[in-house]
Amino acid sequence: MLNEDRVILMTRMAAYESGEGKKHMNVVRFFKGDYIAVGILKGVICATLSYALIFGLYIYYNFETFLASMYDIDILEFARGILIKYLWFLGIYVMITYVVCTIKYNISRRSLKKYFRNLKVLKRMYDKQ
Amino acid sequence: MTKLLEIRDNIKLFFTKYDVFAIPVVKFLLAFIMMLMINGKLGYMSKLNNIGIVLIVSLAASFLPTGAIMLFGALFSMAHVFALSPEVAVIVAVIYLLVYLLYLRFTPSESLCIVITPMLFVLKIPYVVPVVMGLIGGPASALSVVCGVIVYFALNVVSTNAANVSGNISDLMGEIRLIIDSLLGNKQMLVLIFAFAITTIVVYVIRRLPIEHCWTISMLSGAAICLITVLVGGVVKDAGFNIFGVFIGCILAVGAGKVIEFFRFCVDYTRTERVQFEDDEYYYYVKAVPKMSVAAPDRKVKNINRAHKTRTVLNRESVAGDMTEEFDTDYLTAPIPGEEKN
Repeated sequence: MLNEDRVILMTRMAAYESGEGKKHMNVVRFFKGDYIAVGILKGVICATLSYALIFGLYIYYNFETFLASMYDIDILEFARGILIKYLWFLGIYVMITYVVCTIKYNISRRSLKKYFRNLKVLKRMYDKQ
Repeated sequence: MTKLLEIRDNIKLFFTKYDVFAIPVVKFLLAFIMMLMINGKLGYMSKLNNIGIVLIVSLAASFLPTGAIMLFGALFSMAHVFALSPEVAVIVAVIYLLVYLLYLRFTPSESLCIVITPMLFVLKIPYVVPVVMGLIGGPASALSVVCGVIVYFALNVVSTNAANVSGNISDLMGEIRLIIDSLLGNKQMLVLIFAFAITTIVVYVIRRLPIEHCWTISMLSGAAICLITVLVGGVVKDAGFNIFGVFIGCILAVGAGKVIEFFRFCVDYTRTERVQFEDDEYYYYVKAVPKMSVAAPDRKVKNINRAHKTRTVLNRESVAGDMTEEFDTDYLTAPIPGEEKN
């Protein structure tokens, strides 16, 4: 005989497993610290790329001015300015990445907890039968 | 109202039942319209204006994840701009990359908003976006809306200055400066970025408040704030908005919001129930607002047919199994006469 509650629960769990659950399981298979560390590492790469793109566009835009004043500017001072701006940019980006990764991890863990609780309920339903 | 609710339930039922076909069809239509709009707005690469290519790409997008629509749109628009001027295409590519690296990487699901915002700009109803995103999204959706606005204005600046941008080597720097200056100095874009971000956040915050008719209040206040911000910003920055157009756009935004509300948050405040109870640790003051719904007509189809006679397959084992109690079945395992000698 079909148990309607069990079928409903199993359908919901299967839908979760194939949708959101897949993403959440990929997140929670790491320790929280490791997940955030990997996220920050990717963030550093993305921030560096973004900064390089913005800097490249800036140079592209001011190419003629830059060429004309190339021999007059203090290269070290110029590089220092770029580096300081890069560090600020990187710091802000990494902070945002940290917050986003933490929130994502917490949400994934909470929903997986619910999923495992449902698994237990399902097991109890089978045991009862 | 009952009829409308019935239609809503039928639409929901249809999409739930046939989602395997319905979702790819919706994706196909979205990608197709987007490509046609890009071709209409830019259209510098004649090969891509071929309807066959548009159909093939849209068909591919319908079976791929939602992010593919944005990817194809970005590639399509970049190809058109590349045909106009490779240097300007670099600028557009940098803008797309920055949008991805700085924002979309965190929330890939919001890519649809970045696709739809420029499309609604072309249809002259961009004010719908912040109100709708405030209703169905989160506070971070404000960034998606802003990205969509930037993408639209980037492409718009290219198409507006197409006559001045010819890919001429002698004035390469001038062309690049023209595009970047036109984009960064675009007052309409700056005002709309500010207005849309504020509107999205306001709509979201009010929608989440525990007050009656919060959805309606949120969309009305969002539309009002959008209208005021755009008009004030337009006057202060001398951005030259069409007041009538903005007003109509905001009214349409409320209309779109009401449609979204009907599908997602249709409740009956007249039947609100307030209950109060307690346990060992807390007092509970609960307010329960029932959803508006109609009972789906329960149609039962009863088949009145002649009962089919079931055909049973007879073999030696089944017949013998039925007879075990009455007959000796040793002959089943006994060797078949005539094969003993072999």
